[in-house]
Amino acid sequence: MSKLKLIGVSKAYGATQALRRGDLEIESGEVHVLIGSNGSGKSTLCKIVAGSVRPDGGEVLLDGKPVDVSGPRAARALGIGIFYQELSLAAHRTVAENICLADLPMKAGIFIDREALTERAQHYIALFDGVAGDGFSAATVVEGLRADQRQLVEIMKALASEAPVLIFDEPTSALDRAQVERFFDILRRLKSEGRSIVFISHRMDEIFAIGDRVTVIRDGETVATSAIAATDSASVIRLMVGNEDELAPPTEAPATSSPASRDTLLSVRGFSGKGFANISFDVARGEIVGFGGLHGQGQSSVLRAIFGASPVTSGEIVLDGRTITTGNPRAAIRNGLAYVSGDRGREGIIQGRPILENLMPIHYLRDRLLLASPASLREKAKPAVEALHTKFAGFSHPINSLSGGNQQKIVIARWLIDRPDVLLLDDPTKGIDLSAKADLFTLIRKLAKEGMGIVLYSSEDAELLNNADRILVFNGGSVSRDLTGSERTRYNLYQAAYEAA
Amino acid sequence: MTGGPALAFIRQPLVVALVLILALLLLGEILSPGFASGRQILRLLIVAALLGIVAAGQNLVILGGREGIDLSVGGVVSLSALIAGNLMSGSDAGIPLAILACVATGALFGILNGLGITLLRIPPLVMTLGMLGVLQGLLVVVRQGIPSGRAAPSLSQFVTQPFLFGLPGIIWLWIAVGLLMAFLLQRTVFGHRIYAIGSNERAAFMAGVPIRTVRVSLFALSGVFAAIAGICLLGYSGSSFANVGEQYMLPSIIAVVFGGTPLAGGKGGYTGTMAGAVLLVVLQSILTTINIDESGRQMVFGATLLVLMLFYGRGRAMRA
Repeated sequence: MSKLKLIGVSKAYGATQALRRGDLEIESGEVHVLIGSNGSGKSTLCKIVAGSVRPDGGEVLLDGKPVDVSGPRAARALGIGIFYQELSLAAHRTVAENICLADLPMKAGIFIDREALTERAQHYIALFDGVAGDGFSAATVVEGLRADQRQLVEIMKALASEAPVLIFDEPTSALDRAQVERFFDILRRLKSEGRSIVFISHRMDEIFAIGDRVTVIRDGETVATSAIAATDSASVIRLMVGNEDELAPPTEAPATSSPASRDTLLSVRGFSGKGFANISFDVARGEIVGFGGLHGQGQSSVLRAIFGASPVTSGEIVLDGRTITTGNPRAAIRNGLAYVSGDRGREGIIQGRPILENLMPIHYLRDRLLLASPASLREKAKPAVEALHTKFAGFSHPINSLSGGNQQKIVIARWLIDRPDVLLLDDPTKGIDLSAKADLFTLIRKLAKEGMGIVLYSSEDAELLNNADRILVFNGGSVSRDLTGSERTRYNLYQAAYEAA
Repeated sequence: MTGGPALAFIRQPLVVALVLILALLLLGEILSPGFASGRQILRLLIVAALLGIVAAGQNLVILGGREGIDLSVGGVVSLSALIAGNLMSGSDAGIPLAILACVATGALFGILNGLGITLLRIPPLVMTLGMLGVLQGLLVVVRQGIPSGRAAPSLSQFVTQPFLFGLPGIIWLWIAVGLLMAFLLQRTVFGHRIYAIGSNERAAFMAGVPIRTVRVSLFALSGVFAAIAGICLLGYSGSSFANVGEQYMLPSIIAVVFGGTPLAGGKGGYTGTMAGAVLLVVLQSILTTINIDESGRQMVFGATLLVLMLFYGRGRAMRA
């Protein structure tokens, strides 16, 4: 009998079906790997097991009995412990307190028993003795720890639950080699004790080093489960890709002229900063360069750094033959760069202000205007919003009166009044409707044809495969592959994204 | 907004303020006949103009967002009145120099506030409160508790005597300030940038708005408006007393909030603030009429601000 079994579990967030049919079966004493591409539903599945998300349908069986995991406390009571991908530590508390947070040892029912607390935490800290790094002790306040050390605390916290079923959602993303090795030793020991472990990772080498069986999820559905010994990374990637390669053929994109014959517009050399290292690439006039790979492998950070919105430690940018420095977005804009964030609420729109004002900031800066005459500004804004088929009642209406897709169109249109040389798109279609997406990509291809250089990062692989002339696949903060021409397939994209760099 | 357009109209802060002004005038007339006479209303408007000019600067600072507030305006008003009084010493010849010196002083303290807030990242509340302390100390040292300086005759005339169409010059000055503010906020790039940083500073930064320059300018303007009010206040009272400006800090903030600019910034304008200033002055006058002393008036003002926050101030939830 399996320890934990999920049958046909589903979950929708609003209109988005995050999980259609999640099946999962885990035995006692195994490390079960769960894998799937961006947004395939892995994390949702884990959250359902951990009780932090209520499923819309389906069944969860523990030891063969149906259970209702009504919340995180219920999950603990049932013997399910989880490591969350989004770190859930109390920053101002000590390592020991965080490790034992769910079950603090008490004295007389009200006071925390400090000695017992430290002693219990020490047990888990000792497991990582020698690899945890400097300044790591029970009494250290979490805020002062490095990213990898925080991740270790999070692992210890999950281990401290001593639950028979343990779920680790990307536990190794910030850890170094030695820390990962130690963690795997611990997992092997837990396995020998008969515990069940669910392990999510995007690193193929890790999956094959520690896993016993692997379950692949694609588009919210469980596709297959196989024994690790009986499969290889190519087969796993093929399962993740499915038949979608046929649905997303490389389009018209590779332009008639070969990239070599076009002149280079933007050249980024040896770019390093927080979250990425030694990135170099060229964008030709009229070329759409795609940034691909898993979430958070440095794609956004590189774009933001080029635009001057976050600092760089080294590297140079050559735009149209001139070396430029972009210390802040103002400098970048003056030099002819443009940047559109996918987080339009935080970084795009100016809430509550008229549409016209939302269209103008770039024009104000580039034309060094002092006065804002609505009539003449409207004339300038018109072609820009019409190019995107933006639907709106009037320029004086507040931006908030528009749908998400139309808001994003306004944010993009502000760059079209004074054309930039290079357009940096940072996951620009996040949360916008399909017709707006289509309008957007039509425009992007048109801009490219007119000679603009475009860098497109998208978390939707289909957008890259359908629009980019070239895809740079990011992995761990550097470019692991440069896919051009007929290499631009979903299979190659996944392979480069998931194989160890 | 729920309800029809009529209800939406009635809920406009400007409309609310105007209705309240009329109601208070009526109440005043009932309590003390003659309260709403033409001469009396003119006097109220002069006092309101003084407050309104200070509130113009306060309004700009609050619109700029990020907890923008200027608690030092009262100190600048006092210092400006003192400088103007001493430079004029009762003679018209000193007026140009006095105006120049006062405006420069106001701008200087405003710029210092702005630099502390943008470069040293001191919260506006703390920075301007500290500046207020500095100004108060400075006033004690310079004046040593003795009233000094006298307004130039022309200045007193400008503030208190009819100038054009039966209205004193200061009323015309206030109208000019109102037009200037409307132009600044609606028709200039600077105005649009104020709203942009007040509404979404991060987005403004990404769209190339020079955030620090705009914010420092706002505090500088607040200092300048307070300084101009200080000169006019000297003209109104004839000579400068100790801390004459202190009475402006809280009311200038209340007038802005009453006028429909939430303390979170990013929306609102000056027209409402003007109505708010008149309303406060009428309220203050009524409280005086029914023999409520200064401490009682302060309590009423403080409570008014708190009640206002219930209606207008919570416009936006705290940003994480």
